[in-house]
Amino acid sequence: MIKFLEKFRFEPRLLLALGLHSVAIIAYQLALMQMLSVIQWHHFAYMIISIAMLGFGASGTLAVIARKWFIKRADWMIPSLMILSGLFMVISFPLSRQEFVQFDVYILFTEIRQFPRLAINYIIFFLPFFFGALAIGLTFIIYSKKIGTYYFSNLIGSGIGGIVALLILSYVYPEQSFPIIALFPVISGIIIISKKYRFFQYSCISLSLVLSILFFFNPPDIKISQYKNLSTTKTLPKAEVIHSEPNIYGVIDVVSSPALRYAPGVSLSFKDKMPVKPSIFVNAELYGAIPKHNDTAEYNIHDYTTMALPYVTNHRDSVLVLKASTGSAISHALNNNAGKVNGVIENQAIINLMKDDFSDMSGDLFNHSKVKINHQESRAYLNEHHGKKTYDLIVLPILDAFGGTAGLNALNEEYDLTIESFQMMWDMLKPEGMITISSWMDYPPRTTLKMLSTLVEIAEKNDIEDIEKHLVAIRSWGTITFALKKTPVNPVEIEKIRNFCDNMYFDPVLLPDIKPEERTKYNTLEDDSFFAYIDEIIHTDRESLYNDYGFHIRPATDDMPYFSQFMRLSSIPYLTEVFGPTEMPFLEIGYLIVFITFLQSLLLALLFIIVPLFFLRKTGKGKFPTFLYFGALGLGYMFVEIIFIQRFVLYFGHPIYAITAVISTMLLISGIGSYLSSRIKYVQQSAAKINLLIAAIILAYALFLTPVLEATISSNDIIKIILGLLLIALPSFFMGFSFPLGIKHLSHNNESHIGWAWGINGSISVIATSLAMLIAVEQGFIIVMTVALLCYFLAFVAMQLYKKQQ
Amino acid sequence: MRKKPDKAFSILLIAIIVFFSFDIDSFAGQYRQQRQEMVENQLKGRGITDNKTLEAMLNTERHKFVPSDYKRIAYNDRPLPIGHGQTISQPYIVAYMTEIIEPESHHRILEIGTGSGYQAAVLGEIVDQVYTIEIIEELGKQSIEVLDKLGYDNVHVKIEDGYYGWEEHAPYDAIVVTAAADHIPPPLVDQLKDGGKMIIPVGSPFRVQQLMLVEKDGDSKSTKNLMPVRFVPFKRADDYQ
Repeated sequence: MIKFLEKFRFEPRLLLALGLHSVAIIAYQLALMQMLSVIQWHHFAYMIISIAMLGFGASGTLAVIARKWFIKRADWMIPSLMILSGLFMVISFPLSRQEFVQFDVYILFTEIRQFPRLAINYIIFFLPFFFGALAIGLTFIIYSKKIGTYYFSNLIGSGIGGIVALLILSYVYPEQSFPIIALFPVISGIIIISKKYRFFQYSCISLSLVLSILFFFNPPDIKISQYKNLSTTKTLPKAEVIHSEPNIYGVIDVVSSPALRYAPGVSLSFKDKMPVKPSIFVNAELYGAIPKHNDTAEYNIHDYTTMALPYVTNHRDSVLVLKASTGSAISHALNNNAGKVNGVIENQAIINLMKDDFSDMSGDLFNHSKVKINHQESRAYLNEHHGKKTYDLIVLPILDAFGGTAGLNALNEEYDLTIESFQMMWDMLKPEGMITISSWMDYPPRTTLKMLSTLVEIAEKNDIEDIEKHLVAIRSWGTITFALKKTPVNPVEIEKIRNFCDNMYFDPVLLPDIKPEERTKYNTLEDDSFFAYIDEIIHTDRESLYNDYGFHIRPATDDMPYFSQFMRLSSIPYLTEVFGPTEMPFLEIGYLIVFITFLQSLLLALLFIIVPLFFLRKTGKGKFPTFLYFGALGLGYMFVEIIFIQRFVLYFGHPIYAITAVISTMLLISGIGSYLSSRIKYVQQSAAKINLLIAAIILAYALFLTPVLEATISSNDIIKIILGLLLIALPSFFMGFSFPLGIKHLSHNNESHIGWAWGINGSISVIATSLAMLIAVEQGFIIVMTVALLCYFLAFVAMQLYKKQQ
Repeated sequence: MRKKPDKAFSILLIAIIVFFSFDIDSFAGQYRQQRQEMVENQLKGRGITDNKTLEAMLNTERHKFVPSDYKRIAYNDRPLPIGHGQTISQPYIVAYMTEIIEPESHHRILEIGTGSGYQAAVLGEIVDQVYTIEIIEELGKQSIEVLDKLGYDNVHVKIEDGYYGWEEHAPYDAIVVTAAADHIPPPLVDQLKDGGKMIIPVGSPFRVQQLMLVEKDGDSKSTKNLMPVRFVPFKRADDYQ
């Protein structure tokens, strides 16, 4: 090893190479996530990336098994591994698009042959991470005594990697980003290239560069899953992609076809020609159809849907449309003579498209004098404006999708559909105001029931005594719209609703004087259970229905903001019996895939952690504390990161800002902590104290973070950014000490454990992502935070155990 | 020493020749048996009682409508992918949809969404004329080829946007919409006879659980969500106790 150090004498170059290489690993991970979300769904991205990231765990295992072999050859191995990592960053994606390995997550549960394909995909995407992680791991092993400096380089590089990915994905398509990102590790390899095996290294460099150029200018056909909206739309006659652009919000495509009609759940009494509208897709999923607004139109197509409910009873002058998408509901409000319409849209690229490129096509809707478009997450808008009693009507978009979403949104955090969010909406209503929300009818009913339970609980919270007098719902053959009114619905309004239903072949479901036979006058359901459940939610023991029902239908809260997560683990056997093993997964596939992701990463991680133990038999004591310390750090660090993202999505108002701010700040600041850790002399004592301090900070955050964020959420942006970054930076700084101090401790006491520790940390970090999600969904974020606290406390305990064993 | 491998090679060669000399259709008897089992277990066992439907399901060679990769499991109790994000419905759903529209031999039926052509073929076994429209050109061409090959002269396929129906042959006794959109096209309702029935499956490609029946009676229209009996009604846990 000393020989190696002497031979290199290039620490600054190695530090730079390591930093650049780390930029690429994180940037590649994010770009891959985006790419896989386009061709499949983001769950597939989790599945693949969780295994790919286990490359870190596997590299640790290998570093233990062949430690001496690697150290002897480190001078040429490290640059070669970096170059190989870059080479595979270029070729892995094109390889995965070959016919024989193409995989579709949508039919995973129905087609056994998807499994070997999935396995090949795992291997393909595992390789760039494995080679990359092995290069980093070897550097850490060799330079374990200066780990603080090298870990600093790794963390700073990773932090910058997040920003680099964001920049690249803003301007180029994900499939073109891989050749760019791959240049970083190749350059890293060139910086520290060794004299040995130069032919091999230069061959790999040349091949990487040639393939990078080739695939950048001639990217492979990405072959989007045939089950995604964009693919099926493209099969329509004369379908044409009239606009396409890469974007940080996702790849945007606009498709037109004479057969593309949008009229969700339109009444059977509608006899006119259905409007043909081009549609916008984000990451190949339908975002919305572009409405052709006309102020003087005789009617709006939505007048023939249940979504017309609020306009049937009264004139609504001031309207707020949340998650306004492409503006169909805005156009609907204008056609019903609204005087002022505020639309809230989270995607700036869509706003730009609608205001510029598709302004003519949409009747200049987004530039309309009565319309104000706000670029914000809906919840962020509510946070900023609640308390002002401004609106006659607040409209939420139609939830679910025609035919169901198969639970693909289950793990999306939907802060606009939590109890807290509805409370803010309620506070923004004028005295006669109304909130409406619509959904496709689902079977078994769950979206509809959760929607109702949310409205009922809001009414209760606001001391509404006769809830049934404030609630209205009407149902067509396919959709249902609920309305919650501040004042009781009066007889004139009831009469208007009944007439409207008769004209449209709709049925009233909730009216103050509803009769059971009215509910199925035109549209009969398979059984009456839906009506029994909604009556139970309003009138009787709602709590027992929440507990006994096969799905989660309790309203979402800010602590558990998963409105679309309905699956209960305990219900799986029952649902499988009722719906059959191949069809049950399509009820809630998103949740099941995260569950599978967790199980598979757990099994592999255990393998990567246990196998090295056979090679560490003669290395004496300290294995348990090593496992405990580095496992706890892997879990704890990721949990804190996930909690911060979850909390700051609300605070900064947009997931992309929150994710970038959290990941980059945490890594950069931890990098500084890591750098400073190299100055610490009493490693063991300091490591114990610092971990205890981190646990104390997490405890303080568990108690005070939410109140602090709530108190300052309405402050101006600069204060919010400064405060937010400070809050992220504080624990991150200390968390940056833990890992390098642990490695330094091993370098003094048990050097052969370093590779294993690297592997444990990498493997457990991967498990942490899906585990945090499952805990958050089942128990709420406060439990995730408690586990994070416990982890750092366990790291403290591990250091005490080391002390005892010495 | 060299004889052994030669002998083994000869046996292997004969085995390969014998294997490939069997036309896939020589497994016809096996497929027929699978169809019988399908009718007994998946259809009769779940309450399909209409003899015409059961006979049509027994006579229609489902394995000829599925991609070659799936022939082996053509009669399994499940939908199968046919490409372009489309599926061939599970046998029970096809039978249920057929039974519910009460087809008679003199009926004229319109199908929107030919897909594999299997549903049209089953209907073609029972009624005089079936008109079916497929919007995806490739699927349409494939189904025309299969239906021609199998001699379904009374099944007419058109590759077009099914939104406007097939006006020259209207009105129809029944309309089967297998490629449902987020709305029911008004021209289809217009082309339905008075007292006619339109059936629409609602659900993601692999999860057709709700079937909707649209009935037209003069100016009045009504819908009914039907629950395929295979799936016992979903109730809360304590309803079962």
